[in-house]
Amino acid sequence: MAKRITIDPITRIEGHLRIDCEIDGGKVTNAWSSGQMWRGIETILKGRDPREAWIFTQRFCGV
Amino acid sequence: MKDVLKDFRDVSGEHLDRLTAKGVSRRNFLKFCTGMAIAMGLPAGMGSQIAEAVATQKRPPVLWLSAQECTGCTESLLRANHPTLEKLILELISLEYHETLLVGSGKQAEEWREKSMRENKGKYILVVDGSIPVKDNGIYCKIGGKTAMSLLVEMAADAAAVIAIGSCSSWGGVPSADPNPTGASPAHEVLKNKGIKTPVVNIPGCPPNPYNFLSTVLYFVTFKKLPELDEKSRPKFAYGRIIHENCERRPHFDAGRFALQFGDEGHRKGYCLYKLGCKGPETFANCPVQLFNDVGSGAWPVGTGHPCFGCTEKGVGFTVPLHSPARPKYITPPSLFTEVFPGKEGVSPGTKAMAAGVAGAAIGAAGAALVSGLGKKDDVTKDKGE
Repeated sequence: MAKRITIDPITRIEGHLRIDCEIDGGKVTNAWSSGQMWRGIETILKGRDPREAWIFTQRFCGV
Repeated sequence: MKDVLKDFRDVSGEHLDRLTAKGVSRRNFLKFCTGMAIAMGLPAGMGSQIAEAVATQKRPPVLWLSAQECTGCTESLLRANHPTLEKLILELISLEYHETLLVGSGKQAEEWREKSMRENKGKYILVVDGSIPVKDNGIYCKIGGKTAMSLLVEMAADAAAVIAIGSCSSWGGVPSADPNPTGASPAHEVLKNKGIKTPVVNIPGCPPNPYNFLSTVLYFVTFKKLPELDEKSRPKFAYGRIIHENCERRPHFDAGRFALQFGDEGHRKGYCLYKLGCKGPETFANCPVQLFNDVGSGAWPVGTGHPCFGCTEKGVGFTVPLHSPARPKYITPPSLFTEVFPGKEGVSPGTKAMAAGVAGAAIGAAGAALVSGLGKKDDVTKDKGE
């Protein structure tokens, strides 16, 4: 009987991460990681002057 | 001066003992508090009041909620290199919850947050970084299965005050740029719509200057109220003047000397960047005075040769095209014509103003406010009216 463990939030990283694990007989049989935040920067960039793309893409991650 | 010294002699307490045990000298601690008072445009004598409050009170609990953010604000705060400040950040406040810094994960983290909120009900400061997505019931940002929108409402309801750090939580920032795919909204807007009355201070900037944030927290700890705010809920000591007023390239603007292209002769000579799209003439912030990272003069965007793009200002940053010219509205004479200690290398003008402020205490506490040129609220109103 597989047991499912969810760890959310994962701390000490940048962003909002969630990990789901399926454990069967003491072994991880399946696992999923998912980003829990979306800003749509790709969508924001569409149609813009390419010279200003960097002020958006640079801010994907501030670390 | 005598009174100031007397007040400082009286500063003692358990917290100060703890600081000295960790290698923060009493002298440095008091210097830091005085510097903070001056940065806020308060008389230098207020430093002792700040020191008293910090040394004797229980550290204020701070819960930090991250929404649609990039962690740049946290990074900016962690990299405050002012001597002793790194230690003081961790000692001034009791940081109860912060996703990037918490040791525990998942259930442990969320349980601690709830416990701290219960125990410090009505007393904690809630810091928010990142915008709050409201489209589709807020599903674009979730923590522990809850949306950032519901967490903000829950956490702000029981907070003493909310500090929105960074442009995203102050006015929407990058995620709110057209077409705003997730309905990214500033914290104050979400709270207003939900009927939460907790006061909100905005510290915009991408990233904001950590000293503007620290000064606001210290002010709150000392005086039990928020500093004077402008109509956009920004502290006036930091956002009372436009960048153009205190820009070191302002004389070039006045003389009509402009860089016309990146790398041209004017650009190499450090001329005004207005024609490259500098938004300094319509952006309120203390960047040219406070500077970044304590590495000396020039450590801010214009100082490195790039136009300001107006990150602190709603309707300017991430909204107006980067290289289109600014719409100057508030042209006023610069408040800092000459440097306080001309020719002294490796010290930022802000630091010089601060140092001069401390020296000014010897002549009279009012000297500090004069030298820093900040916090003159009458001037601000007048400037805008003109």
